[in-house]
Amino acid sequence: MTGGPADGRTVGRRLCLVALLLTGCAHRDRIVVGSKNFTESDLLGEIVAQQIERRTALPVERRFHLGGTFVCHQAITSGQIDLYVEYTGTAYTAVLKHAPVADRDSVYRTVARDYAQRFGLVWGTPFGFNNTFAITVRHRDAMRYGLKRISDLARLAPRWKAGFGYEFLERADGFRGLASVYGLRFASPPTAMDLGLTYRALAEGKVDVIAGNSTDGQIQALDLVVLEDDRRYFPPYEAAPVIRQAALTRHAGVAAALAQLAGRISDAEMRRLNALADVEHRDIATIARDWLRATVP
Amino acid sequence: MSLWDFYARNSQEVLGLVGQHLYLVAISTGAAIVIGVPLGVLLTRRPAWRGPVLGVANVFQTVPSLALFGFLIPLPFIGGIGATTAIVALVLYALLPIVRNSYEGVAGVDPAVREAGRGMGMTDWQLLTLVELPLGFGVILAGVRVATVVSVGTATIAAAIGAGGLGVYIFRGVAVVDDTLILAGALPAALMALAADGLLGVAERRFAWRAT
Repeated sequence: MTGGPADGRTVGRRLCLVALLLTGCAHRDRIVVGSKNFTESDLLGEIVAQQIERRTALPVERRFHLGGTFVCHQAITSGQIDLYVEYTGTAYTAVLKHAPVADRDSVYRTVARDYAQRFGLVWGTPFGFNNTFAITVRHRDAMRYGLKRISDLARLAPRWKAGFGYEFLERADGFRGLASVYGLRFASPPTAMDLGLTYRALAEGKVDVIAGNSTDGQIQALDLVVLEDDRRYFPPYEAAPVIRQAALTRHAGVAAALAQLAGRISDAEMRRLNALADVEHRDIATIARDWLRATVP
Repeated sequence: MSLWDFYARNSQEVLGLVGQHLYLVAISTGAAIVIGVPLGVLLTRRPAWRGPVLGVANVFQTVPSLALFGFLIPLPFIGGIGATTAIVALVLYALLPIVRNSYEGVAGVDPAVREAGRGMGMTDWQLLTLVELPLGFGVILAGVRVATVVSVGTATIAAAIGAGGLGVYIFRGVAVVDDTLILAGALPAALMALAADGLLGVAERRFAWRAT
């Protein structure tokens, strides 16, 4: 969640970056881990940070909850942070501006190659889960209308209201493509709003369909149902650590520490961890510590 | 794409969003004045209420906008998604400077002047409308000026609840990593804030001149 009655929030972010620039430039002796401004990114950032602390003698500085892909990308390419967790599909479409494709391996290979060449950034091995867009409806409606797949939505769309986050409305792999692949025509243009608020709006009956994230803890908590992407429209969004080449070279143990996390988090596991934070309001550092102890002893 | 190309290509949309933005600011600041000025004046008559009322207005300032929207969505009439919810939030954020300055403006009138009015046999209502409000008007206007300028910036959050405005470009730009889009929203909002500040500043100075 973003904070504050943010008068001129962009200005605020710029100032943050300037502040980072002034304070955080020479970090030869430590690793600065960033994260985006949502729970899963904070959680993964904390897991990575603690793993580096456990496996190396390096002090880790946390710069969490930065304002999204944009800010994280600016921060890492300018050297203000050394590492953050990114999603392959997001890097592929939003940062590199490629047209979306569905093939997991080719997306990973392309982002790894382009990031190394263009930004001097290295993609680690993915954690294992795929946090894709989740076309989500109320459980009650799914039962009443027999909704299982996104294709089933086409006949109801003309009577339904949709509410989507800005990212989903704007991205090349977002609403426009989805609407044309599945032939979705809603009664009115979808309401553009904050992603976190779309869950609330759906649960309260203000809209009928939203695009959440498949690993969000809210989906089970609010009794919602994710429809199957039966025409395989969405590209893969595998989460993996992205790290500055310079930091990897300087700190030998970091690559090995990160490698131990490869493939360790399934979709269900990520959903469970997110729910611990979002639904049960447990502390993120505690969740990360418990998970690391149990999974990577 | 440069910013000017963007404006040239999307002029209709830009004008629409500027209009929505002005609408949100005008309605919410207007409502905050209608609620806030009488409330501030009331506090000068009921000093015991001052702490609690300003305290509550202060608390509204600190509630993050998305949290506030979350609370408002389920509420009938003032909630849901769209312009109404955004305006309710903007009014709550604008209240503090207006209430506080209305109180200060009226309470700060020289006691000797007030005594003179009483001595002339003025009723409390006459004292308020003929002496205290005209003398405190500059301070009240300064509060309105702060509230308006802050509202122009804050109204960008309306885009988070489907109410449009220039925040739409900022939210879109942040979502898709696009500097031009962010500037396309932030620049007119900043100009609008400067214009509002300038206009109300002129009004304030003109009034101060007349009051002396």
